[in-house]
Amino acid sequence: MIELQHIGVSYGERVILRDIDARVAAGRITAVMGPNGCGKTTLLRCIGGLMEPTAGSVTLDGQSVRSYSSKALAQKVAFVRQHAQTDFEFSAFETVLMGRNPYQRRLQNESQEDWDIVERCMRQTGTWELRLAKPHQMSGGELQRVMIARALAQETPVLLMDEPVSNLDIAHQIEIMRLLRAATDKTVLIVLHDLNLALRFCDEVMLLHDGNLLYHGSIADGLTSERIATVYGVDSHRTDGQVVLEY
Amino acid sequence: MMKTGAHKSGGANLWVLLGLAVLLLAAMAGSCLLGAVDFKASEIWQSSIFWQLRLPRVLLSVLVGAVLSVCGAAYQSIFRNPLTDPYVLGVSSGASLGAAVAILLGLEAWLWGVGGLALVAALLTVLFIYRIASIGNRMHTTTLLLTGVCLTLLISALISFLMVLNQEKMDSIIFWTMGSFGSASWSDVMVVAPVAVAGIAVVLWYSRDLNLLLAGSEAAQSMGVEVEKVKRTLLLFTTLMVAFAVSTCGVIGFVGLIVPHAVRLVAGPDNRRVVPYSMLCGALFVLVCDTLARTLLRPSELPVGSLTALVGAPVFIYLLYKNKKSY
Repeated sequence: MIELQHIGVSYGERVILRDIDARVAAGRITAVMGPNGCGKTTLLRCIGGLMEPTAGSVTLDGQSVRSYSSKALAQKVAFVRQHAQTDFEFSAFETVLMGRNPYQRRLQNESQEDWDIVERCMRQTGTWELRLAKPHQMSGGELQRVMIARALAQETPVLLMDEPVSNLDIAHQIEIMRLLRAATDKTVLIVLHDLNLALRFCDEVMLLHDGNLLYHGSIADGLTSERIATVYGVDSHRTDGQVVLEY
Repeated sequence: MMKTGAHKSGGANLWVLLGLAVLLLAAMAGSCLLGAVDFKASEIWQSSIFWQLRLPRVLLSVLVGAVLSVCGAAYQSIFRNPLTDPYVLGVSSGASLGAAVAILLGLEAWLWGVGGLALVAALLTVLFIYRIASIGNRMHTTTLLLTGVCLTLLISALISFLMVLNQEKMDSIIFWTMGSFGSASWSDVMVVAPVAVAGIAVVLWYSRDLNLLLAGSEAAQSMGVEVEKVKRTLLLFTTLMVAFAVSTCGVIGFVGLIVPHAVRLVAGPDNRRVVPYSMLCGALFVLVCDTLARTLLRPSELPVGSLTALVGAPVFIYLLYKNKKSY
């Protein structure tokens, strides 16, 4: 159970997040939505314990995320970042294997179990065929799927994903969203820009606007034309349950 | 298929380690027999040249080679920059300045006069750089690198000044900065050995964390690495190792930059292999270079720092060329 208690983040004069107070539904997929620069990534970083909010706190299972040891937190929360970073020539397989780090003791080699989990996660994300590929031999979308596989290999109950599908073609977008849908025991917070993808695959939505939490609740009720107009400044209407933008 | 997917993952191969260790021991034995005076193996035990000159020299070159290569591997991962070497934080320039001042003050006759001052100056330089690059309790690695490079240039300029103003001592200063094991003694070995053993053990201990650091600080943290603690500990021990090494033998370039890369080209990027293999290969490499340095033109000596580049560069270029074909 993740609870955000009056989170505020500001860099000097610039306010990024203002008094965010919310409980994230366990075992469900919550879309985090809003225009560029509205604080989505900052919110995820606070939840992932990667930064300390200026005000308020985030608790996970009743304990502040900042009080967990790195390893204990990495067994509970995995993070897929917006930009995949890889230097040096680790193969896709070795990259995904790094996701097993929170379960390994020092100077200990990977076990057969680790290898099996890595193989399963790579097959699920369609990256098993790429296992020998080096970063420069992969496309942006392939690299992103490798990063998703690495996060899955952490086997955490909570998955934070910052625009994980923005580099993927539509087939792989749907595949990844189905995969998340099938992992019913995971609590997923995912930053998405595609309104209809979010409507189809997510249960809840957190709509951020200028650092405020404008709406948090069922996504079907949340993405109204009025709110879309307020948040994005774009007119829209619903047809057959789909959001149709007017432009 | 599993095996092909993972043929280069996991820790160091024990047989490779053993093979390299045997090779190193054989080279050490061979190096002890060679020199301005050649020995037969049977008479070596009675010789004071062996006990007082060659053995400490061989041991020191092995220690320094291991230290420089391990620190190079660690820095390249911490800074996520393949061009970093153990001297990038200003250790070598600080040490050179300390040594130059000691030589100008005429401290060469004192035990640890030059080395001691070099050590102190090296540590002060790095301390200064850390102070500049620390923001709160976080270390900003780009600032750390830039400050190191900047201060290195500043100090080289200072040393040039000192040399021009004291031309009669120019030779000794230049000779010191080029690096040499010519004055290696047991006291050097005794001082460097504990620091080297402790420091290398720490780097080996954190070798998997080094892999994760290559994925970026935040990614490493979300995969369970205590990033700031690991960086701080590693920088502390590597700095100490390099400072102690440099203060005994001067600046020996090329080793710390190239040995880890050569190992990566052959064994892949996993630091659980790169660190221990670099340790043994670096030790072997510096030992061979120093043996060549004192035997090629005997009885006179070549500066070992130039031999490391002379021998190492062609080997490395060959490895790069060979690897190019596999892309």
